Amino acid sequence: MAYPYRHEKEVRLLSEHFGDLEARTVEGWKARGGYEGLARALEIGRERVVEEVKTSGLRGRGGAGFPTGLKWSFMPKDQTRPHYLLCNADESEPGTFKDRELIRWTPHQLLEGCLIGAYAIGASHCYIYLRGEFFEATQVLARALEDAYDANLAGKDVLGSGVDLDVTLHVGAGAYICGEETGLMNSLEGRRGEPRIKPPFPAAVGAFGMPTTINNVETLCAVPGIVKNGGDWYRQWGTEKSPGTKLFCVSGHVNKPGNYELPLGFPLMELIEDVCGGVRDGNALKAVIPGGSSVPIMTAEECSACSLDYEGVVECGSMLGCASVIVMDETADIVKQVRRMAYFYAHESCGQCTPCREGTAWATKILERIEDGRGTEEDLDTLLQIGDQMTGTTICVLSDSLAAPVRSSIEKFRDEYLALIRRGERVGAA
Amino acid sequence: MSDAPFKNPGWAGNTGEFDLTEADVRGTEFVGHRPPEGGHPAAAPSYPYMLADKAPDAPLFEGPYKERLEKIRGRYPNARAVLLPALNLAQEIRGHVSPETMDAVAEELGLASAYVRGVATFYTMYNKRPVGRHLIQVCTNISCNLCGADEVLAAFLEHTGTEMGETSADGNFTVVEAECLAACGFPTCVQINSRYFENVNEADVPQILDRLKSEEGEG
Repeated sequence: MAYPYRHEKEVRLLSEHFGDLEARTVEGWKARGGYEGLARALEIGRERVVEEVKTSGLRGRGGAGFPTGLKWSFMPKDQTRPHYLLCNADESEPGTFKDRELIRWTPHQLLEGCLIGAYAIGASHCYIYLRGEFFEATQVLARALEDAYDANLAGKDVLGSGVDLDVTLHVGAGAYICGEETGLMNSLEGRRGEPRIKPPFPAAVGAFGMPTTINNVETLCAVPGIVKNGGDWYRQWGTEKSPGTKLFCVSGHVNKPGNYELPLGFPLMELIEDVCGGVRDGNALKAVIPGGSSVPIMTAEECSACSLDYEGVVECGSMLGCASVIVMDETADIVKQVRRMAYFYAHESCGQCTPCREGTAWATKILERIEDGRGTEEDLDTLLQIGDQMTGTTICVLSDSLAAPVRSSIEKFRDEYLALIRRGERVGAA
Repeated sequence: MSDAPFKNPGWAGNTGEFDLTEADVRGTEFVGHRPPEGGHPAAAPSYPYMLADKAPDAPLFEGPYKERLEKIRGRYPNARAVLLPALNLAQEIRGHVSPETMDAVAEELGLASAYVRGVATFYTMYNKRPVGRHLIQVCTNISCNLCGADEVLAAFLEHTGTEMGETSADGNFTVVEAECLAACGFPTCVQINSRYFENVNEADVPQILDRLKSEEGEG
């Protein structure tokens, strides 16, 4: 056993080779069944590749959960102008730490997914937009990409198919908003990473004004297996509407944090109690944020019957997002953590839209005041009102992403806010 | 797998069930030596390092760096898209991106100076002023925060004798707070120049600083 924690209930389609050093090499990846998906894709043709991915029901792993095959089918069929595939490796949603692991342990898995994806949408060039902070993972991927070019898995006439597929690594420079797909396109083009109004959608007018598809790292990593084994194969895991497996990034107050690959629909409490070894120090569970910091917070009670698929989490009042499960035990200070999140969104707001630029900063100031014991009960109403004005009023969802935790924490943990406001009592230590 | 917890020197902590070396985890052995001219053009835009040794007055885009810039140009359909890779390259050489550096990049790419400044100031990784040999970025966002990141940040400030964002008198350290570094399962995550140090707790801080001082010219 090599890599932090594993569990017998995992279904390791993507993460089987984490910590397996030979999987980083072309030969090692081929010996593990790698690049068979690419070979099959080139053999069956792009339309059938899209069909297989549609059949699999694979949904985007970057947070929105949009069906990948459907997204690919939106790309125009004409080949009169360049098409682009962008791989979103700008992983920066607080609580999410899966893409960096996929890149540094299984770089060829990602490259194979990119090559198949580019081929399927009729693109001859794929840019992998990597988070600037990922120096180490990026260098692993760079070496793997050079090896792939040397082995004729990328470049001109890939595997003698007559198809040209280029991949270029592009490195960002530190901006959360560049993980938003249109912000990412602007950043790739050498602009400020400000999101664009949709429509036009990227499939019509994307990077450099050309038809473009943007997929998350984990989505593309799932593609080689689907193409190699067929779309129906992938459906043996997960639920009808959320097929397949997902990497769950569990952080916070659990005994064994880490990435666990599980079938979608896995029960949340089983993930915490069994797979992650329970809440630390035998403490009681207080709250869970199931999908990264942008989704509503859940109480321990709401977690009890929650199943981790796109629909199941919505039924319990939150969203699966990128399945970044942040666990808080009874010692957690909800007000402090929401204030910290607010600070983050205020820092990362690109500033284009007034409700976001002003709202994130205003909410942060109020939360800081409450945390210092200088808040009033009216402040809570103001926060809720700001949250309403920040929801659905901006170009992208960064604004909504702060409104959700603020609103849900006030609704569900009002007592903690009131304890601070009325008596200056802080609940929890962290 | 041994029964005893493995103390992984790269990760500063000992949680998890490791039997890998630091070079395995970081991938340094697999990656090997990276040439300053950028290697294969496909990977050339991916070479920005944060180096301890900085040359704030060094010329930009000369010698191997010129070669790397040309490779980068070949991968994009227009000059504007070369801007971020070019700024990355400039920061790799000079350690920070001053207004003069931004102007030089603008001239090289044929872009307006004001435009380049507008873009460069949007991104947090461009150091707008000089930083110490080791730029220590401590994540204090939610997952790390729940596990003691504030204490880790305080320990770095205390042991380097600096205020947030200031450089220590010996020029060795600059400590700043960072937003989520995408290593939430290994809290607290600290990025020091190009490297991540994970599972850091406040007691690890003196040991990490000693290690940095003992390394010459490490990225």
